[in-house]
Amino acid sequence: MNAWRATLIVLSLTLMVSGSHAADVLHLYIWNTYLSEETAARFEARCGCRLKQDFYSDNEEMLAKLEAGAIGYDLLVPTGNAVETLLRQQALQPLDKNRLPNLGNIKAEFRNPWYDPGMRYAVPYATTVTVLGYNATRLSELGLPTDSWALIFEPRYLDKLKGKVTVLNSQRELMGAAMKYLGYSVQETDPARWDEAKRLILRTKPYWATFSNSTYIKDLAVGTIWVAHGYSSDMYRAQQDARDAGRPFNIAFRTPKEGAVLAVDSFVLHKSGRRPDLAHQFINFMLDGANAADVSNLIGAGNPNAAARPYIAPGIAGNPGIFPPAADLQRLEMLRDFDPKTRRLLSRMWTEIKVR
Amino acid sequence: MTESQPSNRPRDPAQTRRAPLTRWLVSLPPTLFLLTFFLAPALLMVGASLQQPGDFGGLVPALENGRLTLSLDTYRFFFSDWIYAEIFLRSFLVAAATTLLCLLLAYPLAWLIARSHRRHRDLLVLLVLLPFASNFLIRIYAWIILLGPFDLLYTPWAVITGMVYVHLPFMILPLYTNLEQHDPALLEAAQDLGAGAATRFWRITLPLSLPGIWSGSALVFIPVLGMFAIPELLGGTRDILIGNLIKEQFLDNRDWPLGSTLSLLLTVGVLLLAGLAARAARPWRGGTA
Repeated sequence: MNAWRATLIVLSLTLMVSGSHAADVLHLYIWNTYLSEETAARFEARCGCRLKQDFYSDNEEMLAKLEAGAIGYDLLVPTGNAVETLLRQQALQPLDKNRLPNLGNIKAEFRNPWYDPGMRYAVPYATTVTVLGYNATRLSELGLPTDSWALIFEPRYLDKLKGKVTVLNSQRELMGAAMKYLGYSVQETDPARWDEAKRLILRTKPYWATFSNSTYIKDLAVGTIWVAHGYSSDMYRAQQDARDAGRPFNIAFRTPKEGAVLAVDSFVLHKSGRRPDLAHQFINFMLDGANAADVSNLIGAGNPNAAARPYIAPGIAGNPGIFPPAADLQRLEMLRDFDPKTRRLLSRMWTEIKVR
Repeated sequence: MTESQPSNRPRDPAQTRRAPLTRWLVSLPPTLFLLTFFLAPALLMVGASLQQPGDFGGLVPALENGRLTLSLDTYRFFFSDWIYAEIFLRSFLVAAATTLLCLLLAYPLAWLIARSHRRHRDLLVLLVLLPFASNFLIRIYAWIILLGPFDLLYTPWAVITGMVYVHLPFMILPLYTNLEQHDPALLEAAQDLGAGAATRFWRITLPLSLPGIWSGSALVFIPVLGMFAIPELLGGTRDILIGNLIKEQFLDNRDWPLGSTLSLLLTVGVLLLAGLAARAARPWRGGTA
């Protein structure tokens, strides 16, 4: 892969020297299924360049590849805490806002994240909320509430759901959900409160079927799992899959009232990128409402772009699980990396959770 | 095999003189390969296990502001309670159970293939290898669908089933290679001398096949220890193995020193076990073969 990339770069440099147009290539390192083929083709037609995409499926994978020395990417799409990591590693180039006239389309509430106040490096592109997805038909038969983390943490509800619940296989996400249910912050630093969350999880763990980061989409859609802790875009897909397969039940999802984890993915310029001009052109193109709507229509992601709203399918734009109302947004928190000592403390608790 | 035995050929003085050099040249690439891809990473891991985790992943440099930052903290953390040792023990038990089940399933099959008509053997071996033609993850997802209706999904049994299924060919092939070479005349002679089927198996086939059993067991046991995808996809809420633990330290938790310490202790554990197994195997094999 790297050899291929090096060859490509050498080749494009050679072509650039010879003054050919084919040298205008923008390298994008992006999540799977974050950009539709039509939008990519429209951008290529607009800029008269080629868009070359590489894909990753989680931030850690992307960071690991860059730390191992991958170069030549103009644009990345990291989540907030990964933006912070990249900033600390001095791996990003600042944005030239003069070249981003569409930047005003970003909603006010997304303009000042803690990792990059004033959007000097990162332009928000898509959002995801960690929610509870559920089999609405089955849960209403059972008469269970769907608006609270209590659904996965309270034995009196879980008694009716034993073996029908999955939770994320992620220390930060699951312990974060428990902290939210207990009324604490996901950035809590008091070990005693984390210990409380650990005990809550250990108490309710016997009711859960498994820890799952991906299989819950299928499990919800075929009806073997009734409640899943997971990402809003995945829940949207499970909902669509169940509908397309004509299942005799509906999948729904919502943000628990106690609050949840919000993930914001942003475009950033990697310092090794060779075409900041094309990168800015691409970001500005994607900031245009019609193009920004793409990611929401494609995978059911939330959208930080105000101008995108009219272009987003009503079923998605009106879904509070995908687009949290202003009041819910107040209770959402973004994950921020801890210092190594706290990381080790939490990882020790997580291991205990997995073993017991 | 036969070509590499120069004693069968008339001796050419020039060749004898060149032999050490040739041997050295031939063994150079594998030696370099092992040094580069086994010893060097292992030493890097020793180093990383003594370093401190960086604020945003990675490692704190061993020498920072003129101060040495190396310490045994991570080892102390590992040995400070039983929880990590418990995962090690559990993983070794899963690996042992998988190896045993693979052996029980593979032995009769390998024997049948080795005893089948020469014309069919290649085809049968090909059939054993056929599952490799499709992606590993797809095959595991197939098990999710198969186990789902039987309430077996997300249990330890599902993990063992997946492990046995994936690693079975690694047991069948060395066993087959071994069993195929057995001289049928030995069994006929034993029969002529009045040995029953069970005696023939215990006294001749089984002892002769021990090398195949050992290499098949190693090929199954060791990869199972490092496997993390199967417990993650098929296992329930308690089925964590060392592989998962190590992967978590490097990716999710970005604690490279702890990840390195775990990997290193696993390597040491496997080497110790391999040493013990080799020692235990020697007298019996020597006495019967």
